[in-house]
Amino acid sequence: MSTLTETNPLTEATTLSAAAVPSAARGLRRGDRNRLLKIIGVVLITLSLLFPLAWMAIAGFKGKTEVLRSPFQFFPDMWNPQNYIDIIQDPVFSRAMLVTFGGALIFTALSIAINSMAAYALARLDFAFKRFWWVFCILPMFVPGMAILLTSFVVVSQLGMLDTLAVLIIPGAASAVQMFFLRQFYLNMPVAVEEAALIDGATRWQIFTKIFVPQSAAVFVVVGIGSYMAYWNAYVWPVLTISNPDLTQIMQFLGNFRSDRGPQWGLLMAGSTLAALPTIVLLLFFQRYIVDGVRISGIK
Amino acid sequence: MSAVAPTETITGQVAGVTPGLKRRRAGVPRAAKHLRSNRTAYLMIAPMVILLSIFVVWPLIYAIYLSFFKISFYKGSEFVGLQYYMFVLQDPKFWNSLLIGIEFAAMVVPIGMVISLLLASFIKVLSKRLASFMKVTVYVPAVISTVVASVLFVFMYQDQGVVNWFLSLLNAGPVAWLNNPGTALPAIAVPAIWLGLGITTLIMLAGLLDIPNSYYESAELDGAGFFKRTFYITIPLLKNILLYLFVTGFTAAIQMLDLPLIMTNGGPVNATTTPNLFIFNSFRAATPYATSFSLTTALLLFVALGLISVLVFRLINSDKAVDG
Repeated sequence: MSTLTETNPLTEATTLSAAAVPSAARGLRRGDRNRLLKIIGVVLITLSLLFPLAWMAIAGFKGKTEVLRSPFQFFPDMWNPQNYIDIIQDPVFSRAMLVTFGGALIFTALSIAINSMAAYALARLDFAFKRFWWVFCILPMFVPGMAILLTSFVVVSQLGMLDTLAVLIIPGAASAVQMFFLRQFYLNMPVAVEEAALIDGATRWQIFTKIFVPQSAAVFVVVGIGSYMAYWNAYVWPVLTISNPDLTQIMQFLGNFRSDRGPQWGLLMAGSTLAALPTIVLLLFFQRYIVDGVRISGIK
Repeated sequence: MSAVAPTETITGQVAGVTPGLKRRRAGVPRAAKHLRSNRTAYLMIAPMVILLSIFVVWPLIYAIYLSFFKISFYKGSEFVGLQYYMFVLQDPKFWNSLLIGIEFAAMVVPIGMVISLLLASFIKVLSKRLASFMKVTVYVPAVISTVVASVLFVFMYQDQGVVNWFLSLLNAGPVAWLNNPGTALPAIAVPAIWLGLGITTLIMLAGLLDIPNSYYESAELDGAGFFKRTFYITIPLLKNILLYLFVTGFTAAIQMLDLPLIMTNGGPVNATTTPNLFIFNSFRAATPYATSFSLTTALLLFVALGLISVLVFRLINSDKAVDG
């Protein structure tokens, strides 16, 4: 019984708000009471938003018979990391994590390079048929993936790219959305710097690599995380193009886990937790950039 | 090193240049018009243009071509005009999937937007430290992959899972969420809302922070409560952002593929076959002309949704959007 009240975060927090607030509020000033209410709100919202993830991590600690046992049990009898150990030692899983991670890094670097070069040229240089190339580069933004998914598949198979790392990295590297985002940033950089450098005899390429790139750290982080997530979280494209078990991508592994290995929920939840960790760590590490990134994205 | 020196010498001017630049931010900066840099520029856009040509433009042209021709390995291709389009438009399964897509979007988008608006309004009144904590918290689900969300929610919807346990506390259930045609679609909408909250909330918050506080203060003096302030100040002033979020959210939700693919694979009895899942499954079906049929469907959907996106994009970038 005591485990029940203790372990249900929602009831716990509501009883807290019901019991603690009025008695405490009487002795406090209005501002303090408001502050307390806000903190309670923050705790409640955090618990309910992150509950599914916490539940996933907890399920990873449960034994085979515990994980979907009836009567229901919130926490495991014993916190046993066996599922986590098993899934890490599973060669298919750990290879998928490594291969996907490596692929994501190459993909991210490549797409930053390609998109930022195009963005710089389209923001800062003057050249023949510029308007045409601008429209050409931006229109793919409006082409939904599904409209070209099937023929893209035909194209990559004709190019002999199926079952290679290239098929995962190259087709998605150029991104109209990211180019647009970077161009928006470059448009707002002061012109004077560029003019002074030109007078000093710097070439456009030198201006890009020595002035623009070093100042793009923040915006590169934002688009880089976007690319990283797009690669790491991809499912349909790898499922279509990769059948070689050595190149299995992590989401492909998790998405097909139930049909491949049956309902081993503890193991699957442990694997999913580990697969969700890299993007969460990235978010926590670069939180300032990402949260600001939404503001400078040009939408607002 | 030569590049560093000039930056330092002209920092004084930079401050003076910036405001003028901001006014012209949408236009082409006036930098060195006399210097056309064709070679550099073409080299710099080349990788982007080549990749987009091979992997976006060509597949799109190819898809349009395939939708008008009957391809056979034995004879040359034969022009069939709009025949595939008629096939698709006459297929009740296509219309059914479209209906399911709309139904799905109608669940995901309004609920997601209401929750986001409440969250954003809440974050706005928090102290700086609490606000930055909440912004990250709200964003965490947004970085979770649809695959992880799918398997996680399937696990939570199991008969002995945590959702049915909550129900049992209310003396209800258990419900076979994903095996029941009536509950499967809402059950898939929940993770979709959860995944989408972060971005919507942060965009709304950015909009909220642009509304002058004095509006709220004077409304408060006049005795307007939270809901009155939301309806008479926040929503009208956020009109453009809300419209943008609604339309992008709607087109994204209609195109949802991963969640129903992994959670139900369209079942039970096609209750969760969204348009993209219908296309994906008819592509994988071993029927003759499956490719042509499925990509014609995809093109039809693309034309409809693409038009909406272009319209909204123009609206957002137009002058009308400057002041909501």
